[in-house]
Amino acid sequence: MAMFQGTIVTIQLTVVGIIAGIMLGVVLALGRISKSRFLNSITWFYVWVFRGTPLLMQLFIIVYAIPLFTLDVFGAPVRLPLLVAAAVAYSLNSAAYLAEIFRAGIQSIDKGQMEASKALGMSYYQAMFKIIIPQAYRRLIPPVGNELIMLLKDTSLVASIGLFDLLRTVNQMSNATGRWYYYIYAAVVYLFLTSIVQLGFERIEKRYSIYD
Amino acid sequence: MIKLENVYKSFGDLEVLKDINLEVNPGEVVCVIGPSGSGKSTMLRCLNQLERITSGKIYIDGELADQREMGKDLQDIPAEKVQELCTELGMVFQRFNLFPHLTVYENITIAPKIVKKFKEEDIKAIAYDLLKLVGLEDKKDEYPSRLSGGQQQRVAIARALAMQPKIMLFDEPTSALDPELVGEVLEVMKKLAKDGMTMIVVTHEMGFAKEVGTRVIFMDEGRIVEQGEPSQIFADPKEDRTKAFLKKIL
Repeated sequence: MAMFQGTIVTIQLTVVGIIAGIMLGVVLALGRISKSRFLNSITWFYVWVFRGTPLLMQLFIIVYAIPLFTLDVFGAPVRLPLLVAAAVAYSLNSAAYLAEIFRAGIQSIDKGQMEASKALGMSYYQAMFKIIIPQAYRRLIPPVGNELIMLLKDTSLVASIGLFDLLRTVNQMSNATGRWYYYIYAAVVYLFLTSIVQLGFERIEKRYSIYD
Repeated sequence: MIKLENVYKSFGDLEVLKDINLEVNPGEVVCVIGPSGSGKSTMLRCLNQLERITSGKIYIDGELADQREMGKDLQDIPAEKVQELCTELGMVFQRFNLFPHLTVYENITIAPKIVKKFKEEDIKAIAYDLLKLVGLEDKKDEYPSRLSGGQQQRVAIARALAMQPKIMLFDEPTSALDPELVGEVLEVMKKLAKDGMTMIVVTHEMGFAKEVGTRVIFMDEGRIVEQGEPSQIFADPKEDRTKAFLKKIL
């Protein structure tokens, strides 16, 4: 039962992390390719920070440093529930990686597509969302699948902030009982989850290949 | 209908258009010829503002669409106004630039749908007329990758026409095609010309220019060197550079 709950935590963090990460990632990617120097620099800075520092450190900052910081500055600590704090950290972190994936995907689409869209009177955002990004989907599927699998496995880092995900639960049960095979259970569940992702993404990729 | 006044365009230090003055009247089929790098395509691309001119004025349909001096806007023309004027121009590209993720029908209907917000049944009527015009009724549900180059270019023409432009710009529409496919595209363009469409055609197809053009413009090194009726330009060019160019290609 505890193991089941731990698995739920792992899945929750992964699902929230990828969905919020994709939404924020698209916005960041649009900023990275925008002509506005301001949007360009802040999104560049974001990616630089979140990709350039360890995920575990980002977790620690949100869970430990921000409460201390807010205590110092405002006199009262701002402390998020552990699961929420972890979800925020994973979302912010995966957004940085996804932003780079999206940027590269968007920029890989032939420039003629944007020109044809403009020549037909579409606005920049109409062209982006109706013409450019839909074409990038298929190229984005493999790297996004990759990112999702990484994210799923990296959720095991929350063990170190005291959140009982799959791995931490198994670790504790093994310690309490002295039995080794709980780890096998964890490995099987992780493999099961990543297989679902892998197979799912292979199917999506096939579905999007109709127009080639 | 379209007017360019003292238009200059530079890419960095490279001046590609030098003092272009051109007026195109309704019903004209203006064929622009000249060696590659002479600025023909750039001139077209400046008309619908895929490239911004460095200096000069552009009028579309009698209204000022762009006025710049040394790369700076002189008139603050609202973006919506510019967009509206530019939709009076339809453009056909050398490399077709069809949207590969959309079917032929969707390629033709997407802009009327999201830009002009036409009603579904009106769009359908327009699309079917155009498919008939370009002879591709049976291909409406195909993706562009399943079509030959000639068919793709015909779809591209239909796609541009679906926005009901007053002027069609053709940027070397047959240059990327296998020789045996050129004819079918030119056929469609001839039909358009016969129906009274105003057209500016950058082309290497001298036969088309002779047969369909009402005026031929010869450009070289960013300038309009000579222009006149096709019969005059081809039979009796005045300028040495025109003579040299025609001798090379004919």
